[in-house]
Amino acid sequence: MPGAQGGQGLVEPIVLVTPGIALLFGAFLFPVGQILVLSVVPSGEELGAWSNFARFFADDYYIRVAWRTFRLSLLITAATALIGFPLAYAMARAPRWLAFLLLLLTVLPLMTSVVVRTFGWMMVLGRGGPVTDLLMLFGLSARNAVLLQTETGIVVAMVQVLLPFMVLTTLGVIAGIHPHLEEAARTMGAGFYKTLRHVVLPLSLPGLVSGSLLVFAISMSSFITPNLIGGVRLPVMASAIYQQAIHTLDWGFAAAQSTLLLIAVLGLLVPYLALMRRARV
Amino acid sequence: MSFLAIENVGKRFGHTTALDGVSLSIERGSFVALLGPSGCGKSTLLRIIAGLETPSSGRITVDGEDITSLPPERRRLAMMFQSYALLPHMTALENVRFPLRMQGKESAAEQRRRAMETLALVDLDHLAERLPREMSGGQQQRVALARAIIAEPRVLLLDEPLSNLDARLREDMQIELQALHRRLGLTTLFVTHDQEEALSLADRVVLLNQGRIDRDATADALYDDPGTAFAADFLGAANLVPVTVEATDGAYIAILEDGQRLPLAEAPGPGPRQLILRQEDITLADPTAPGLEATIEARIFLGARVRYLARLGDLRLRILAPRHLQYPPGTPVRLRIDPETCRWSREGSPLN
Repeated sequence: MPGAQGGQGLVEPIVLVTPGIALLFGAFLFPVGQILVLSVVPSGEELGAWSNFARFFADDYYIRVAWRTFRLSLLITAATALIGFPLAYAMARAPRWLAFLLLLLTVLPLMTSVVVRTFGWMMVLGRGGPVTDLLMLFGLSARNAVLLQTETGIVVAMVQVLLPFMVLTTLGVIAGIHPHLEEAARTMGAGFYKTLRHVVLPLSLPGLVSGSLLVFAISMSSFITPNLIGGVRLPVMASAIYQQAIHTLDWGFAAAQSTLLLIAVLGLLVPYLALMRRARV
Repeated sequence: MSFLAIENVGKRFGHTTALDGVSLSIERGSFVALLGPSGCGKSTLLRIIAGLETPSSGRITVDGEDITSLPPERRRLAMMFQSYALLPHMTALENVRFPLRMQGKESAAEQRRRAMETLALVDLDHLAERLPREMSGGQQQRVALARAIIAEPRVLLLDEPLSNLDARLREDMQIELQALHRRLGLTTLFVTHDQEEALSLADRVVLLNQGRIDRDATADALYDDPGTAFAADFLGAANLVPVTVEATDGAYIAILEDGQRLPLAEAPGPGPRQLILRQEDITLADPTAPGLEATIEARIFLGARVRYLARLGDLRLRILAPRHLQYPPGTPVRLRIDPETCRWSREGSPLN
């Protein structure tokens, strides 16, 4: 391929990436940049440059919202990993037809709207729903307990929404682990669970970690599900931002919160990418 | 008293029969090859012994203990995979230590000391901290071998132990395997599709064909007298010649398909038979000499020797000759066969 390294070989790649780059600039980097500027430069003349951030950290309410968002996201990520890893492993090692069926079941929720799914959860978790009946039946709750408008409800619904992301990223990695490795471990005296722990788990770590990052990032900034399940009593950062931007029209403060959210997610993503790059060398 | 006994083991995958009632009895400390073409069931048998596959029928015992339904981790056997199956996230030392770690009988320090000792046995102690991907294929295989022998398995199973190595490494590994076997006396069973590998490594060769044992003999005996058409053909060293045996005046004569007559020293009796002629037992001579008439079809230079393909009517014989002989293709020749070297296929009659 003579043109591949010459100047001529550069034309085709540039043509190919232009639409994507243009979209990224116009529809992502530009608006995000606007938000960054807006968060630092306040609209009212009497306020200082970082006043929006100062206001955020001074107000106990917003700290609590941020903490709830962070804590729930961690819980959601952990639960998704705990449920997703065995499922992904089973899918990778199941016979073809069963793997396909499990994959279909996992991916199917992605085909329906988040609003529809969350509405379904509202019915299931709400008053008179089957979950309440079940809890009553096992004597786990004395009164007519409702998971709607509880943090548990948010976590349960979010885990279901985000499970496909965890399963699909982990599945990709597990499918690449040669079954001979597990068989070899078995012949070397490791039982099924020891093989899972000493062979499969460490080798699936890259998939589990990237799945966790994906789930964590989405949880941190998700809006619809926590809002519908949690309601106004349990606001998360995304709903607080929405509140400021749409109802209070305090764009500067909304922008400051958005910036903090972005920093929190990047603060996790960047070290991970650096770590992965080092691991591959 | 056999140490490893395979009793009437069968295995079906859906409608195909991979193993059809195989029985084998292997003595302690022996070195046995399971030889056969791909799909003959040899790998399935090895995997059944290791516990990675469940037999459809039959029983396997080691040292009198029935292990047929034991999971692989409780059989105390070791297997070396064709792909080596080294754990990619562990160093050579950690890979070799793995079986001891799973047993958990010794302290971590003691496990590492023994792993180092075993690595030294295969001359790899200087690469103990390397990851598998930082080692060559031959080094990886020696790590796999060290890992297989460290826990003193009752039986060592090897799946195509030499097939992924280049010619020079094969020889090194062959010497190493034999030396290790002599030194540790491990009962070893290995699978191969390569007749040379089987004949050169093993004391005993079990030839499998379509899920059944075709021949079970020492390497020497199998080479000297293949005994079946399949063995003669698969070992590649012998020619299979359909003949009709006639008895005249107390002497036997084989009549080839093209009508030529070959005097015999002995024969299983008159009638249609399969004569087995090893390729180095046929001598080439000029057309003026007595012998079977043939025409040279091809001359293949093998280095130390030359292989000729000679045609007699519809029959083509492979002949191994010294390299100084020069018969170009198309030359008429005579083939001289010592009656003492004739062997017979015993198809349909009980072997041995």
